Amino acid sequence: MKTEIPIEQLLRWRLSRAEAEAPPAPRATRLLALARPWWDTWPEQFRAMVERLGKIQIAYGHAMAEPRPSRGGHPVPALVIRTTEELETSVRVLYLNVRDGRLRLRFQVDAVLGPEQKSLDVTFVCNASQRPVVSASASLSVDSEYRIDLELSEELARIWEPLKVTDRMPFRLILRADTNQG
Amino acid sequence: MRFVWFWTFWHWSKESFRYGSLLRSPLHGIGSHWDEWFRHEASEGDLRAIEEAGRTKSTQRRFIAWLLRHWAGETDWPRNQMVSRFVLGQLAHLPPFDKWQAFENHRAGYGVVGISAVVLGAESPGQAEDVRRVEALALPADGAPIILPEGFQADAGEMETARCAASSVLRGKGLLVFLALWIVGGRRPYPRWLKIAVALGWLAVGGLILYLLIGPEPGGRLFLWTATLTALWSGLMLVGVTVAAWHGFRAWRQGAVWATRMEQCQVRMRMNGGLTIKGESAGLPFCLNTLLAVSRVEPRLDCRSWLWQRFVRRLRAERDIWAATGVVTTDGYLRPVVLEPKLHACLAHGGIKQILTPRQSNASPRAMIRLTAARATPGREREPVPPPASASRLGFAAEKPRLRTHCCRHVAQAMMALGGLTSGWQKAVSALAIIVSGAMLFALPDLRAILVPPPAPLAVSPSSPSPYYLWVSLDTKHPERFQVVFESEFWANRRAEVTPHSGANASMRAEIFLHRLAGQTNPNGEDGTLWIERRHHFLTREYAPGERVGRYSVAYLTRLPHE
Repeated sequence: MKTEIPIEQLLRWRLSRAEAEAPPAPRATRLLALARPWWDTWPEQFRAMVERLGKIQIAYGHAMAEPRPSRGGHPVPALVIRTTEELETSVRVLYLNVRDGRLRLRFQVDAVLGPEQKSLDVTFVCNASQRPVVSASASLSVDSEYRIDLELSEELARIWEPLKVTDRMPFRLILRADTNQG
Repeated sequence: MRFVWFWTFWHWSKESFRYGSLLRSPLHGIGSHWDEWFRHEASEGDLRAIEEAGRTKSTQRRFIAWLLRHWAGETDWPRNQMVSRFVLGQLAHLPPFDKWQAFENHRAGYGVVGISAVVLGAESPGQAEDVRRVEALALPADGAPIILPEGFQADAGEMETARCAASSVLRGKGLLVFLALWIVGGRRPYPRWLKIAVALGWLAVGGLILYLLIGPEPGGRLFLWTATLTALWSGLMLVGVTVAAWHGFRAWRQGAVWATRMEQCQVRMRMNGGLTIKGESAGLPFCLNTLLAVSRVEPRLDCRSWLWQRFVRRLRAERDIWAATGVVTTDGYLRPVVLEPKLHACLAHGGIKQILTPRQSNASPRAMIRLTAARATPGREREPVPPPASASRLGFAAEKPRLRTHCCRHVAQAMMALGGLTSGWQKAVSALAIIVSGAMLFALPDLRAILVPPPAPLAVSPSSPSPYYLWVSLDTKHPERFQVVFESEFWANRRAEVTPHSGANASMRAEIFLHRLAGQTNPNGEDGTLWIERRHHFLTREYAPGERVGRYSVAYLTRLPHE
């Protein structure tokens, strides 16, 4: 039996094996489908979520014994979608900065999310039109906060630039903990 | 200027907060703000300088020292020592400080450990891990929530209840309970010799009272004994009341200062483990740690109350061996909790030697001994074997349990135990003082009559309208302090008390029934002398008659008007 094989021949053999075992390249329609935002892919589910999101009413009633200066901001209604549950809650916007067409946002989810999610898929839904305006991935940061760094469209940047954290936000959020699910 | 990059970050944070980009104040959100600034806002120069500062452990330490000594002094809270600890604790988990060796000590906590809370994990039978270290620090509130859990989730209302209880013992009903407990049985700031002298003094007062009550007739020395008794008792009362009033006043002043400070602060309660707390049994440790946090804000020098100083000093020194559990109400009372698994947890922990619990049946020392024995021989408690009647009975010389429970009805009692303020000696002295003082208060009118006798009275009208009676009416407001002695060779001699009489001829008088002697030596019906004598009492005892302060003839008295 021949035991000495040139390295070039060995590499060619390995390449042919890899080509044979590799999955076929996706078709163009599949690539287009992957590029589409999730609300276009599952419009029915999105509609149901928006309907539910629209029904969340959040307002603080201050019944404090002693008056204290507070700067709580306005809670933003949010719907957390997880594999096992859907949770109506709110988030607190801790940092909001729109500069040079980029949105930098930090927020904290008021509900306890069980095991902390490293990232969340965040969909901004316009309060007025009930339509999705932008989607981004939020990463877990310090103190159970999530942060978003996102490029905005010119129009959105212009509208959101004057916003302050203490203002009522013009959007609601859909937070998807597992983006493989619809 | 050193570490300009940190100032740059700090001012960015302040400006962003002012502009409305940041929700939390620069201090309360410092961790998040730093993360944002370091990722997106720091310039190349800043990043290079930061890298330079973290190059060696020595340069890292220099930054920490600068933060503690200089930066903290130039913030808006130069006197709050907790601010820099908090900042270091927050930054220690963030890049690039999470890689800096010098921050190692600050990663575990803020270094302000208080007494531990016993919080059982889900379905835990009581394990060492259930004894959880609690750190509490007070930061300037800046509009943030006034009490905030960190590292765990808890109902805001329950945390607020613990804060209210702390406020109550600083400046409310709870403080009164604390002072009352201390006055009755609390250790005093006396040197040893004075402590012994005071106890001997009270014993002497008690001895003198007994001597005056059941001793021999004092005669002429009655004044001396009563004067000594009154002076001694007054001196002891003066010392006791002055000490209690002075320390009570200082404790109240200090409590008011700390209560005001607490209102202006945010108390952050840190307990690692990510628990979501169900139930309120952590209320007591949260309350006590809140007090500790408030006391830590400024140096110990700012505390001028011996009581608070002792409590805080002991709490700081012995925090590692204390644990607490108990539901606390807003006015500081404690309610029972599930206790047995918590005691198991403390016994398993090993480091905990003292536990504060609410007063409940299964927290007694006897229950503790039973629990310790049951742990040593599992199953014994569950299946007790009754000893056979004929067999000799065994006595178990059980060793002293290494965990001591302190059962409390109120947070103030827990403070007494924590501060080592409870004193059996003082309780005994106070009990003696209360009994003795009670007797003295009852005896005060008698003592006054002996020491400052009422003026000698004059005989006044009315005289008796009946020939069978002789009335001796006296112009005095203290009839019980006098008596009348009738000496005659015609009439039977008598001794009569002066008593108040009401009606048509109202007066303070002695009424003497005139009874002719069988063998009269004098035929004159007006023969006789009436003496007014002082009477001396002490509580239930009446002494031999005192000095004679008046002398009247029968003829004079019978000629006084009848009305």
